[in-house]
Amino acid sequence: MTFGWGAAAGGRRDAGGVGRRTRILITLGVAGALVVPVLLDRDDFPLSTYPMYSRSRGDVVTFATAQAVDAGGRTTALTLSVIGDSDDPLIVAGELRDAIRDGRATQRCEEIAARAAGWSGLPRDTSMIEVVTERHDVVAQVSGDMSLLERRVHAACVPAR
Amino acid sequence: MTAHAEPPRERRRLPVVDALAPPERLAMLRILVGAFAVAYLLVRFPVFVQLGDRRTGFDGVGLAALLDRPVPGRVVDAVIVVSLFTGFGFVLGWRFRACGPAFALGMLALGSYRGSWGQLLHFENLLVIYLLILALSPASDSWSIDSRRRPRRADGSHDRSSDDHRSSESVAYGFPIALASLALVTTYVIAGVAKLRYGGLDWVLGDTLRNHVAYAAARLDLLGGSPSPLAGWLVRLDGIWPLLAAGTIVIELAAPVALLGGRIRTTWVVSAWLLHVGVLVFMLIGFPFPLLLVAFAPLYRVERLWTDRPIWLLRSTDQIAARAASATR
Repeated sequence: MTFGWGAAAGGRRDAGGVGRRTRILITLGVAGALVVPVLLDRDDFPLSTYPMYSRSRGDVVTFATAQAVDAGGRTTALTLSVIGDSDDPLIVAGELRDAIRDGRATQRCEEIAARAAGWSGLPRDTSMIEVVTERHDVVAQVSGDMSLLERRVHAACVPAR
Repeated sequence: MTAHAEPPRERRRLPVVDALAPPERLAMLRILVGAFAVAYLLVRFPVFVQLGDRRTGFDGVGLAALLDRPVPGRVVDAVIVVSLFTGFGFVLGWRFRACGPAFALGMLALGSYRGSWGQLLHFENLLVIYLLILALSPASDSWSIDSRRRPRRADGSHDRSSDDHRSSESVAYGFPIALASLALVTTYVIAGVAKLRYGGLDWVLGDTLRNHVAYAAARLDLLGGSPSPLAGWLVRLDGIWPLLAAGTIVIELAAPVALLGGRIRTTWVVSAWLLHVGVLVFMLIGFPFPLLLVAFAPLYRVERLWTDRPIWLLRSTDQIAARAASATR
């Protein structure tokens, strides 16, 4: 299907090979295709329901992350690339959440520990890498106030040095 | 020449279906969207290459839904290379009948594969829809290598759709542009509908938007990234959130007014652009396609970016053209 190839040979057709009736059908088809994911409530690519940030959200949220932990239990944040081998927080958070849900937290922890071992910012006294979920009051967290409500460790592993 | 023929006069002109445009407008849209897509592919090259190393968590979407497991890394590399190569052909209008569809399909494949790991992103949807529309259109009839290689008339001019920007308008060129405009406004309306559908009135009247802003910053902070320094200041402001939320939904649902053209179109475009700027500034989430205004290009006479170029650029390009002409004599 083309909208206009062979325009010079189109006879009485006014859009070069694509008649008016066909253009109407194409228009309805494209509009319909864009709307179908909404009707089916099924997000896909490239046709989407565009659900990002559309759901109602409270101020208490559970996050999946990975942290460096020293012998005294003090935690230090890692980086996006150490945790998820990507610079995109959506991908890093989504994949870690899926790994925890699917019972792959230990495997993911070892991958993170391997990357952390090569990270120059890893504190010298790090004894463990932990894959955790933490519940935070997000408004307090962003405001710099005490925000941690709950912490759960799903996997712990030793970074290879 | 049928490419420039008008629809019959007795018929009522329908929006989108009977839209008219000169070939240069469609060509400029091809150049803008194609150049953006190629630049995007180059900038995100490491991300796309990394996809080839992934083996776990595959859940195919889009074109990748045809797969039941990840493809070998060399297949991903090959698609990236072919996409880049055909992307340059797309921009230059070189062998467009092959390069156009190949590039659009390549980007569809890469976007599908990138979204097939449990996290659907929405940065590339509209871009790929534009590429697919353009790939199936006569977007290389002007301002392209293909158009320059077409047989010339006896007087030396091109057979049709020459680089003369006074070319007449045609539905052949207006229809794909209008179709892209339709896709643009529809996606914004769908995004607005999603907020009312999934978030309900609470999205507008409650603290949902504030919590989303705080959530984006907290997530980035806990993952070791650098959240927006303005997020903390913004979430402490009371009373503005219902206004911001209502404004967001009004902008998204009002997108079809952009099809009316004129000031109301530009008002909407500026509003939508500011919305994306706000998301970038406060949540550090950038949608480059609308932020760089390329997404809004189908709404404008974009050929004027070249035909009405500044006088200094006009002089220099004319000089280059004159030198090129004398060199080929």
